[in-house]
Amino acid sequence: MKIVVGIKQVPETDSVKIDPKTNNLVRSGIQGIINPFDKNAIEAALQLRDQAGGEVILLSMGPDSYTTSLRDGMAMGADRAILVSSRAFGGADTLATGYTLAKAIEAIKDVDLVLFGRQSVDADTGQVGPIVAEFLDFPQVTFAETLSLESANTLVVERQLDSAVQDIKLTLPAVVTVRKELNTPRYETPSNIKESFDKPITTWTEKDLDLDPSMIGQAGSPTKVTKVYAPTKEVKKTTVLPDDPTQAVSELLGSLD
Amino acid sequence: MSITLDQNKMLIQMIKEFTANELAPLDMEIDQRGDYTDGLFQKVVDTGLLGMTLPREFGGAGFDYVATAQALEHMAAGNASMAVTLEGHFKTIEQFIKYGNKALNDAYLPSATKRIFAFSMTEPSGGSNPKGISTRAIKQGDNWVITGDKIMITNGGLAEVYCVLSKTEDDQLAVFVVDKDMPGFKFGKREDFIGLKGVPVGEVVLNHVVVPESHLLGVVGQGLEIGDNAHADARILMGAVLAGIMDHELATAVSYSKERKAMDTPLYQLQVTQEKIADIAIARENTRALYQKGATNKVANQPYDEIAAMAKSYGSRSAVLSGDKALQILGGYGYSHEYPVEHLIRDARAMELAEGTIEKMNVEITNAEIAK
Repeated sequence: MKIVVGIKQVPETDSVKIDPKTNNLVRSGIQGIINPFDKNAIEAALQLRDQAGGEVILLSMGPDSYTTSLRDGMAMGADRAILVSSRAFGGADTLATGYTLAKAIEAIKDVDLVLFGRQSVDADTGQVGPIVAEFLDFPQVTFAETLSLESANTLVVERQLDSAVQDIKLTLPAVVTVRKELNTPRYETPSNIKESFDKPITTWTEKDLDLDPSMIGQAGSPTKVTKVYAPTKEVKKTTVLPDDPTQAVSELLGSLD
Repeated sequence: MSITLDQNKMLIQMIKEFTANELAPLDMEIDQRGDYTDGLFQKVVDTGLLGMTLPREFGGAGFDYVATAQALEHMAAGNASMAVTLEGHFKTIEQFIKYGNKALNDAYLPSATKRIFAFSMTEPSGGSNPKGISTRAIKQGDNWVITGDKIMITNGGLAEVYCVLSKTEDDQLAVFVVDKDMPGFKFGKREDFIGLKGVPVGEVVLNHVVVPESHLLGVVGQGLEIGDNAHADARILMGAVLAGIMDHELATAVSYSKERKAMDTPLYQLQVTQEKIADIAIARENTRALYQKGATNKVANQPYDEIAAMAKSYGSRSAVLSGDKALQILGGYGYSHEYPVEHLIRDARAMELAEGTIEKMNVEITNAEIAK
């Protein structure tokens, strides 16, 4: 089974800052980590590989510094990694990113399953997985809570909705995005850390992929961010009323004045 | 950045994560129950931590002592017991790597990713004095027959493979490798120590245990050298553990001094508190510098016995004193089981004794200085 896991490197800190001039996230000076939801996707892929054999390939799009997260994913046990990286991809929104990743997955060839975390913790869109599925014309399920292989080409996915649980059978190849409830990602191990440096990270640029130039980078990105800002925190005062009903009503009425 | 530095950085990161998730939350419980919680040691095994220093050819990760010592410092900052359990294992593996013959290493080292190895020197008659060793190894044909009683073994009872310092018939010291599954091998009592409560420290009784010639580490007559080498290797890692304990003491004291106020002033703003916090921070940095120099020297094949003794001597005394200062900052809470400081003092106190007392360290340091 050939499983591709799309991963994104995100800032380690929860306090993501925004450049007031460009409205973009400020990433410099902050150590990058694997998007936490993507670790669940890697764990799911590793479990499926352990069960059915095959290989787990990590795929990411970004600058060279993203190799640290790819290395972390391989230290969890993934077999190899591909980084799609070029200035030509700069400024890509979720559509251009999804298109580029889909083209990379086509170039990997014969992929059975593509897994993503449900969303990234920095941008929170949750769009890239579904967009990749559309470009590949693969069936997709988002927000998976359980995954199991029913046969060589059938995956059963449980999807938790607000008021119902959906059990969905998917014919492979397919795209699935996963929730953190799916599993507990394994730790890297000292041996796997060492081995991760023996495993290849292949870098692909726009020259290595069969791309429409108008669909990548800034040119392929219709999304225009007009404003991004940190919400102001409003602290509301809470008053606990006394047990005595008379006194409580009195205080309540008083507070309405 | 070099590949080695990148790998070391990843190791430290994963140890921090493992410690924060799996060890630190159980630190108080381990102390109170006097043992590791159920399944915890297995998690350490499953995460491959026993193979951290083991060469890759034997299935380990092959991290060097610089990275390993740093990893143990971070682990000890969450739970010192587990860091000491690993220290006992790693120092023993070092002796296999340095003195073990090929047949022995091929047979035993691949299992060191799953089984704890231990080094046993101390006997009821004495600690680090090799002249008092009464365990005997008698040559019979191609085998050695070992009989004796070893006590206060770090990981005794948890470990499955033991390096045993013995005397041969002609009173030469030699180290033999004994497996817990061998006939005549028996575990004795577990010590009821006041600190490092997770680490089993126990006794092994050997009654005519037969081992083949290949189970001799090094050669007959090399026992004292191997024992000294094991001590030095252990002392570097103990320095790291002690820096970790001081980290824990410091974090507890700093956190408390920010929350607790005396007459509307947070404690950390009072000079009397600042003096104590600064002392702990300086002691931690000094201990860190000592163990890191010891580890660096070892990796570079430079002498490290003296600096290792300094790391343990200075580090253990400092960690006990730092714990006392942290306790004073916390006041009555520091004297309570509610906060970790009191058990950190008990934990650190163990290392003023284990792997040679502070007094023995200071004799060795002085002898080294006199000889220069």
